This record gives sequence, structure tokens and C-alpha cells, in this order.
Amino acid sequence: MCRLSFQQNREGGELVITLENITKSFIQEEKEHTSLQNINLNVNKGEFLCIVGPSGCGKTTLLRMIAGLDFPTNGRIFEGETEISCPSRERGYVFQQYSLFPWRNVLDNIAFGLEVKGLEEKERYQKARKYLKMVGLSQYESSSPKELSGGMKQRVAIARSLVNDPQVLLMDEPFSALDVQTRHKLQEELVRIWSEEQKTIIFVTHNVDEAIFLADRVVVLSHGPGKIIKTFNINLNRIRDRSTPEFLNLKKEITSLLEIEL
Amino acid sequence: MRKMFISLILPVSVIIIWTILTTFTGLIPSYFLPSPSEVLQSFETLLMNGQLVQDTSLTLMRVVLGLTVSALVGIPLGILMGWSNAVKDFSSLMVGIIRPIPPIAWIPFAILWFGVGLESAIFIIFVGSVFPILINTLDGVKRVDKVLLESAYTLGASNSQVLLKVAVPASLPSVVTGLKVGVGVGLMCTVAAEMIGSSSGLGYLIFTSTSMLDTGSAIVGMLTIGVIGLCADYLFSRIEKEVSW
Repeated sequence: MCRLSFQQNREGGELVITLENITKSFIQEEKEHTSLQNINLNVNKGEFLCIVGPSGCGKTTLLRMIAGLDFPTNGRIFEGETEISCPSRERGYVFQQYSLFPWRNVLDNIAFGLEVKGLEEKERYQKARKYLKMVGLSQYESSSPKELSGGMKQRVAIARSLVNDPQVLLMDEPFSALDVQTRHKLQEELVRIWSEEQKTIIFVTHNVDEAIFLADRVVVLSHGPGKIIKTFNINLNRIRDRSTPEFLNLKKEITSLLEIEL
Repeated sequence: MRKMFISLILPVSVIIIWTILTTFTGLIPSYFLPSPSEVLQSFETLLMNGQLVQDTSLTLMRVVLGLTVSALVGIPLGILMGWSNAVKDFSSLMVGIIRPIPPIAWIPFAILWFGVGLESAIFIIFVGSVFPILINTLDGVKRVDKVLLESAYTLGASNSQVLLKVAVPASLPSVVTGLKVGVGVGLMCTVAAEMIGSSSGLGYLIFTSTSMLDTGSAIVGMLTIGVIGLCADYLFSRIEKEVSW
């Protein structure tokens, strides 16, 4: 399923992900529930997009549909010009839960994507080491995942996705299980990696502070059925200072928007 | 150390009570239950004439062979049944009917099909131990953390790569548990298998010495099977610990 014309946004930039009128409903106790309704969204190349919403608004479902792990009831999702029908190495996914393969050491976890692609051992370790270094864990390459802290596990998971050089990195509340200090540190690192690698990132969170700190654009979803209620462009310089009035005003505005929803 | 001491209390007490009942009070005649010293004597005799070593190694060989066949059949089948609902639906009724049949019930057919000998014994051990291995493997594959499978798909793995590189290693702990249970069942089947299938082995030793009222030798055979089971259990528990993810 390919589109005839190449998709471009208003500024002429390249679109990586396009969501067209996405609706997701499911049947529970013989009643139909709508978890997402009429979602239209374009994600530009190189953009850092955050989706915030109260728990149960369907934001994880939305991300899973972009990954190809779940499917919309109505509407279509495109990666570039191709309709998404299954998971792909072009759409890396970092899960909320720890997801490293426990029987593989850190380096072999990162090299997994290259291994299934059929790369020679030497080449895949060379690439894996580069990304291991990027997340600052070079000295842990032969450690087992169970020897790592939560923050380190998520760093390895990020490196494991990036080694595939995906078009877009999808992140589902990857830092939600971490303590505040670790979370802030990883947010800073993610911003650094994002600008170095020039990746497109779609990041789902319920944490408004996190969304403003990270994103170029914050999309706010309402509570069931999830609809886009407002979009904020965040034009603050990175690395962002959480104590500036602009940051705090945005935080107040988005938070109150979410509170109305609850 | 403390744990070892506590676990020794019960067997030592049993031996003391056993000695009192048989040797010191003579309440129980020796053909009914031999005293520990008579068992020791039989043990010495069987050890000296080489019969115990021979029977033990023959039984071990049969268990290992039977278990190997079970593993070769049970593990791949369990993986396929756990992975594909179609395979599971196709075979679950058949497995469900065959599984409850006691291994001993297969003896007449074992003799018919394989004659009296090693093959029959292996067949009986196979019938007993294949199902615990199959069911545990199947269960292990079914219970693989979904997030690991989905991670592999988003990293570009194909269906067969997800099966071989994720589902199989992830279910390894269950496979080991299946083998551990299988060894136990396999050992239990040896007596039955050796009653028909051979003129050697620990099962044969127990069977023949009981019928000749040589109860001491019978107990030596029984305890040897017990000790083998204990060692196998210890070995597989160690492996289980190694692969517990």
C-alpha cells in the first residue's frame, strides 16, 4: 500500500509518521469501548514529539499501533509512504518494563538487532560498542542484565534500539520506574543522543515536566476516549532549565488541562 | 551446616528406631524387615561380587537412554505446541488421552513390539518421562514474557528468529524442570521396565531378591535408586539455578 505523492508538511519538511483518523475500540463485557478517537497526527523528521495524557487515555496503544504491535479499528498509519502493518527495525521501541534478554550479556543484547539482520560478529560488536559508549556503559559490556540497575537497563534498551539506526524511536514511559535523580539524568542524556543522532523520537509519558523538558512539541490527549485536545510547541533552548518562568507556566497550563480531563 | 544437621535428624532417628525394633528387641523377624546390619551385609556382598555396580550402571544407562529419547521427542514437540496454537489444538486431545495411562500398562505392548530386552525397558521409561518434559516445555514457551517477544519483533527479528533466539532460551528453565521431573518418573519406571525387559538392573535385583526372601538385597536396591534420584535432583536443581532468568 503505497501513496502516490511524497508526503510533505507545511514547512516542506519530510514526514516520518502520519496518523490518519485513528480510532481504536475494544469490546469488554459485551459493550464497545472507544479508547482512541479521530487521532490525526503528523510527525516530522528529526522531531522530538511527546504525547501526554492521563493513564488509560490510550497513549500506549497509540504508540503500539505506530510500532505495528497493535492495529487501529479505523484509520491508517504510515511510515513515510508505506502503511504500517507489522513491526519493523525502522521503528525502534523502548518499553516501560525492563525488556533486556536475561540470557544475553549487555553487548549481545545491544547486538541482537544486527545479529538477526545477519551481520558478521566483528562488525556487530563494533557497532554495538559504539552505542554502548554513547549511553556511557562501556565497562559493563560483559555484565548480565540482572547485575544492572533500572536506569542502566533502560540505557541498554535505548542503545539496543538505536544500533538498528531506526527511522523513528518510539518510547513508552521508559523512565517511569526510575527515581527522580536518575530520571532527570537519563532525560538529559536522551536529549543529547537525540541531537547527536538526529533521530525522530515519539515519547509517551504521563509526566508533564518530562514532556516539556524533552519535546519540540507536546500533544495532550484527553481521558477516554482519547482525543487530541491541544498541541504545544516548546520553543525553549536545550538543555532546558526547569525553574524558568516559561517552563513553569507551560507546566501549569498543561497540568490544568489534564486536571480538567480527570 | 545447620540445614544439613536438621535434615539428618529424621533419617538417623528412623535408623535408630529400625535397629531397636529389629536387632535389640526382635519384635520384627528378619524376613519381614531385615535389620540395618543385615542390609549392610547384603550391601557388602553385592558390592564385593560386583553385582551392585553392574546393576546400577545398567539401570543408569537405561534411564539415560530413555530420557534422551524423551528429551528428543518431548522438547521439540513442547516448543512447537507452545509456539503454535494450531499444533497445540491438533495434538492436545491425543496428548490428553495418552498422558494419564500408567507406564506399566504399556508393558504387554512393549513386549509385543520390542520383545524382551533393552528396547522395551527404554520404551517404558520413555512413556513415563516424555510427558513431564513435554508439558513443562510447552508451559515454558507459553509463559515467555510478552515484552521480550515484542522487543525482538521491533528489533527486526522474523518469526523463526523470535522462536529460536527468544522463546527457546527464555523457556530453558522450564525445560530443565521438565527434565528433573522426567528423571524421577524415569527412575520409578525402571523397576517395572526391568521386571520384564531384562535380567539385570536395580529393578531386577529388587524383584528377584524379594521373591527369594533376600529382603536385605531388596532394600539395598531400593536405597540405591533413592540415592540416584537424590543425586539427579541435586544436579538438575543446580542447573535450574544456573538458567533461572
